Amino acid sequence: MVILAIIIGCIVGALVGINLPTISYTYSGYLAIGIIAAIDSVFGGITASINGKFDLRVFVSGFFGNAILAMLLTLLGEKLNVDIYLAAIVVFVWRMFTNLAIIRRHYIDKLINKMENKKNENKKESVG
Amino acid sequence: MKKYNAAIILGVTCLILVLAICIQIRTIEEASNVVGSSLNDNSEMKDKVLEAQEDYKQIYSQLEKSNKKLEKIRQLATSNSQEDELLKLELEDNDKVQGLTDVKGKGVIINLDDNREVDETEVLNISSYLVHEEDLLQIINELFNAGADAISINNQRVVSTTAILCDGNIIRVNGEIISVPITIKAIGYPESLYYALMRPQGYLDVMQKDGVIVKVEKSDDITISKYEGVYNYDYIIGGDK
Repeated sequence: MVILAIIIGCIVGALVGINLPTISYTYSGYLAIGIIAAIDSVFGGITASINGKFDLRVFVSGFFGNAILAMLLTLLGEKLNVDIYLAAIVVFVWRMFTNLAIIRRHYIDKLINKMENKKNENKKESVG
Repeated sequence: MKKYNAAIILGVTCLILVLAICIQIRTIEEASNVVGSSLNDNSEMKDKVLEAQEDYKQIYSQLEKSNKKLEKIRQLATSNSQEDELLKLELEDNDKVQGLTDVKGKGVIINLDDNREVDETEVLNISSYLVHEEDLLQIINELFNAGADAISINNQRVVSTTAILCDGNIIRVNGEIISVPITIKAIGYPESLYYALMRPQGYLDVMQKDGVIVKVEKSDDITISKYEGVYNYDYIIGGDK
């Protein structure tokens, strides 16, 4: 059910996104940083669901809150002539890699466990 | 019910994310199409170019709006009497001649391109295989001499203030950059325009023999877009009737 909704959301988003008019180049930097923040939230959500701590309210507020905060920081940086968006990108990408590592380890552990179980079963069969 | 809600919310967030990514990719693609690949490395310069272009577009749309307003005011002012009607026709005629409106008619379309298949080491003068700004000047002269009413070079309307300049490996018409392949559209009597250029020893005939790729076709339906600049004058005094 959830996976189906996500797939439908992605397809509809792609279809609509291809047909919508493009935004002005001046604002594309803000959209980019917003996208990075949102992707970071998605990875955070997957990690949380692996750990069994997934909360929808936390996820949605993080998704939009982080994106908007990142955009505002970029705007502030533009006004102050400091590239604050670089700091935001570093933090988000760093967290992305951390979360990705957790996800990877989780699934590798699962895979190894499965293989070992199979080996044990085969041994039992050969012994029996 | 709770699971259903979660599915909908996750679907919507995915929709927004993918939507944003699609728009962003298309915006960047469009921007890099505008600037060209040579500027891609120098992002600061690229930003400047794109911002300048955006400003230009905005100002141009303002100009278009003002022109439309002017048109409306003219219509209102001339809708009263028959004398005004005549004035309006005269105004429209003037606009057509000055290149301030899109015009249609029969005429010729000339396509010019550099000959890229010649080997540079085997010919006496590679320059004669290329299209130069002098060629355009000569062709425009010949066309006007043969009675052309309106001419455009790569959609740049040729008007009374048009300059055709050589600028290195590009040509400037009305201050805008154009380069090969060049398309010249001319409205006029097709036969006379055609033979003015393609008669034996006519300018295009000579160009073709020199090795430039030349294609001329007569057409009954040519649209020439209007002059996109603005007429300014600072030093003219008098001239009022």
